[in-house]
Amino acid sequence: MLQKGAKIGHSSHVVTLDVRPQLLDALSALRERVAAARFPLPLAGAPRARANRDELLAQLDDYLVPRLRAPEAPLLAVVGGSTGAGKSTLVNSLVGRQVSEAGVLRPTTRTPVLVCHPDDQHWFAGMRVLPHLTRAWAPRQGREGDDGAAPGPGGDSERLLRVLTADTLPCGLALLDAPDIDSLVADNRVLAAELICAADVWVMVTTASRYADAVPWHLLRTAKEQDATLVTVLDRVPHQVVGEVSRQYGALLAKAGLGDVPRFTVPELPESAGGGGLLPATAVEPLRTWLAHRAQEPSSRRQAIERTAYGVLGSLNSRMPELAGAVAAQYAAALRLTSAVDEAYESEHARVRARLQAGAALAGDALKRWRAYPLDCGPGELLDAISESLEALLLCAVTAADEHIDDAWRREPAAQAPALVRRGGRYERAPYEDGDSPEHRIGMAVRRWRRELEEYAEDEVRTLDRADKNSLPDADVVAALLATALLGGRRARTAGETLAERIGAHGALRLRDRGGRLLTDYLDKVLGAERERRLAPLDALDVNPEPQAELIAALSVLQKER
Amino acid sequence: MTAVTAVTGHTDHTGDLERTDDTEGTGGTAGGPGGAESTESVASAPGMDGDAGGVQQAGDGEENGNHAREAEGVWDDGLIARRVVPGSSPGNGDPRTVAEVLAGSVASGSPSAVSTATERPSSYGDSAAYDTRPPYENSTATQDTTVVYEGALRGRLDALRELIGLSRTRLDTGTLAEAGRVLDEAAARRRLSDRHTVVALAGATGSGKSTLFNALAGVMISETGVRRPTTAAPIGCSWTDGAAGLLDRLGIPGRLRRRPLPGADAQVLQGLVLVDLPDHDSAAGDHREHVDRILGLVDAVIWVVDPEKYADAMLHERYLRPLAGHAEVMFVVLNQVDRLSGDAADQVLDDLRRLLDEDGIALGEHGEPGATVLALSALTGEGVGDLREALSQFTRERGAAARRVEADLDAAAARLRPVYAAGVGSASARGAIGLSEEAREEFSDRLAEAVGAAAAGQAAERAWRRHAGKACSSPWLRLWRWYETQRFPHSTGRHVVAPPADEEATARARVEHAVRTVAEEAATGLPTPWGQAVREAAARGAQGLPEALDELALRAALPDGRPPRPGWWPVAVLAQAVMTLLQVVGGLWLVGQIVGVVEPNLGVPVLLMALGIVGGPCVEWASGMAARGPARRYGFEAERRLREAAAGCGRARVLDPVAAELLRYREVREQYVRVAQRG
Repeated sequence: MLQKGAKIGHSSHVVTLDVRPQLLDALSALRERVAAARFPLPLAGAPRARANRDELLAQLDDYLVPRLRAPEAPLLAVVGGSTGAGKSTLVNSLVGRQVSEAGVLRPTTRTPVLVCHPDDQHWFAGMRVLPHLTRAWAPRQGREGDDGAAPGPGGDSERLLRVLTADTLPCGLALLDAPDIDSLVADNRVLAAELICAADVWVMVTTASRYADAVPWHLLRTAKEQDATLVTVLDRVPHQVVGEVSRQYGALLAKAGLGDVPRFTVPELPESAGGGGLLPATAVEPLRTWLAHRAQEPSSRRQAIERTAYGVLGSLNSRMPELAGAVAAQYAAALRLTSAVDEAYESEHARVRARLQAGAALAGDALKRWRAYPLDCGPGELLDAISESLEALLLCAVTAADEHIDDAWRREPAAQAPALVRRGGRYERAPYEDGDSPEHRIGMAVRRWRRELEEYAEDEVRTLDRADKNSLPDADVVAALLATALLGGRRARTAGETLAERIGAHGALRLRDRGGRLLTDYLDKVLGAERERRLAPLDALDVNPEPQAELIAALSVLQKER
Repeated sequence: MTAVTAVTGHTDHTGDLERTDDTEGTGGTAGGPGGAESTESVASAPGMDGDAGGVQQAGDGEENGNHAREAEGVWDDGLIARRVVPGSSPGNGDPRTVAEVLAGSVASGSPSAVSTATERPSSYGDSAAYDTRPPYENSTATQDTTVVYEGALRGRLDALRELIGLSRTRLDTGTLAEAGRVLDEAAARRRLSDRHTVVALAGATGSGKSTLFNALAGVMISETGVRRPTTAAPIGCSWTDGAAGLLDRLGIPGRLRRRPLPGADAQVLQGLVLVDLPDHDSAAGDHREHVDRILGLVDAVIWVVDPEKYADAMLHERYLRPLAGHAEVMFVVLNQVDRLSGDAADQVLDDLRRLLDEDGIALGEHGEPGATVLALSALTGEGVGDLREALSQFTRERGAAARRVEADLDAAAARLRPVYAAGVGSASARGAIGLSEEAREEFSDRLAEAVGAAAAGQAAERAWRRHAGKACSSPWLRLWRWYETQRFPHSTGRHVVAPPADEEATARARVEHAVRTVAEEAATGLPTPWGQAVREAAARGAQGLPEALDELALRAALPDGRPPRPGWWPVAVLAQAVMTLLQVVGGLWLVGQIVGVVEPNLGVPVLLMALGIVGGPCVEWASGMAARGPARRYGFEAERRLREAAAGCGRARVLDPVAAELLRYREVREQYVRVAQRG
């Protein structure tokens, strides 16, 4: 897998990972899949999944892909740790001059600083690694202004990475001073996590008063999980207690299964507290030597790179299914929401049908009209009343379905997505435009139904050929009787009989058939349209099951290529 | 079992004390004869605490609901640095193992339920023993007074109790649990000494809490060291006797209770009960639980920070921000300034002030109420005097307990705000909660429509006119009509049989929709749970409403049979008959002339006949015009009877329950305003 590469730059023998192009292809395919994963529904695990996705993406972009493409690039050691652990002081001391601002105010480092040998500068000048960070070529003297400006102009949208060179650093090694992992400034936390992901060597800095803090331990465990090349530095140890603290820390590490991690202890010196001074070279010499050894000695360099790279590759085995699981959870939630809508509309549909069968539309006003017909009520009035009744029935079904959906969705965390939350109250008229209320839409549909029904009646009357032109029944009467017979169920039996008398049993049967089909059509159409309207925002979120399968497929391709 | 007996013994003892004190008429909490009983039960709360320790742990958190949630798990926002290790990495990935190493003296690092359960009962055993020690016995028995909450605060607490009582059936218990806890703690604290001020020392691991504790006490009480974390269980130290009850409440066992070094310094701090807490940020999770539990019970907190950790996200995000309302009972102390040069110390202190300000904590500068911020070094003693002085003044004021309760109340009120204060603002902007007149009208209209009042009225009006017209029309016309019916029986469509009484005459869908609309209208602008309650009340009322309307419609409908006739009707009929008679007489006369029976006189009979022929329709027309008014009145009457019956039924079944629910909400809201109103 690994072979000695050509000599590059100085005398450093660089070992390259032999990477087949197929692996890179598989990796970039996987990257695309990861980038395409979306978590629009606010499920409990969604923020986590989003963070994981971003982190994975960052790790692929910032570390894995560039590392596999250019195995001969310098080793990047990221110095991370809690606020006030002395990361900047440590970097300064390793470099031998002040490159990163150290101070007593927390958080100190807001703009990450990358230091490398001048000959290695070209590796970091481009966007090979950390492509999301804008490079800032700050000369030493411009540091003050640059630091001040970092959160200022454009600092919010584009993040900076200061790249410095120092020939005191061994060739093939770059140091990155990251912000705090538990900073009060949330952006810093995110940035720190991202930077740590980009490291070949994770340098974890902690202090005598911090070594039992919960936060750094999570980080250490993550490092172990991903099998990254890890070094820990116990900083700021008062010299009286060096032995005890160091022993304690060692015990903790051993207990956490990190006993074999190289451990360096840096004593607390007046310089480390304030003033941004440098620690004496002797204090950081062991660490410096260790890093230089890793950077320059081919076999250990290879080992360091290989371990982290394969660690990340290996971690994909668990992280991709996790991501796919989150995607699947999204889809499942969307499915639950959809099925709640479907169920509500289906049950309402059934209820409306049952009601129509039972003749519930011929009740109230319509029933009174029918009882008064024909002596005290005209066919037009009867038809009006029946249409209104039908309208009320449909509106009631739609609002009831909406209510059921709201009830069901209230129990679903996924329904809290901003796109799915309805503006204002359900029946408040204000948010609706006039043409946008369900009343209006249903009213339109019912009017259309009525018009078609009247046309049917006219057609039927026209086909009747009676010798006596005067005894031809009125089309309005036929339409009214037909509507009554269709919607009245049992209580409108006489309407059907009258209709048969008027236009003949055959014609009446034919007309009722057509009318019944028309009614069913309109019923389906109205409820279907309302259902679609309700589902539209959910459909717009475009949550579907494919990404899950694609993620897993990309992972299995990658596994095959390894 | 020994533990249990010890607890009861102890409880009785305190109960006795309380009973005597309670007669002084503070009575704000339970009041009345029931007070003594409830006193006992609350006084035994510490004992209950021990039993219910596991349960309490979860809810005990700090001031924030979030916070309580966080306390259950690890503080975890998903970043790489704080990722909770999933169970998949077995063995050494487990955070507990670290806790075990760290815990040292603590028997077991496994999650709280076990460790507290094993530890606490023993603590009560100890505490009982502690109480029986002569000096404490005497002091408690002789001169203890309990905390008295001033009028305004007491009013607010009462209002909160009322509020909880009123809304218990409407809100889920989880929402009210925090408020209930505030009440319970306020009551528990009220029963305990007011001469003492319980102050906790809290901070990150290695900030020097124990060192400061020792510096204040003047003796080496709490173990200090470089081992992190050092202090595993809270240690209490009381400057004045009689604090047993308070320390019991905190669950600090007798073996962890200490006395300060007697001397001038100790005199200054009369009344202080200092509690040294474990850290809140180490990998030992049970430490954090101790801290969270005790922070909910103490009167004031001294946050100890150091130059290295003063900007830790954990401290600010988890503790200081949620506790921002407690600024008045908060000290923030920057320890270890000896590690900084003079200039840097000022810088750091300023930065700390800035961060606290960003957290929303009022800083007590220039005599304003707020948190006290000090810089000191517990190691060298620099600045400790200032803290001692501030504490001395603080304890002398004896107001910390009440202020803490007040801050708790504020926090509870703020948390309950979304549940009680009107939501999206539409209704609160309109300034009206409840049903508008228009909404009621609309509801009645819809119900009337559902029973078909308008149609019934119109039908009745037309029927009346029809009858009138029929009665007053000329006999010839009636004869012709009769003939027509005989010829085409179907064309007039007269029903052969009278229709049966309709079942389900009321439009179900319309009733349902009317109820839903009115409930929605009433619920608009209400906070979600109350809106839901209103909707449920309406839905309950709507059950059986259509059936009731069916029945009502039958009863309220006009009686069957012929409608009543007005007085002029016989006159019209008579006039019509006279007209017919005239025609007949005229006709006969003419016939008689033709036949020759009568002498010829063309003028009079023709005039008579013409009069009859013209007069008949005239009478018909006139009576038709005259019938309009009564017919309309008759129709109106029919409509009104139905409409009123339906409206009355709807009011009784739906509107009244909804209004009652709204009234209840308004009442609750008033209570809430009383709770939330400070001062």
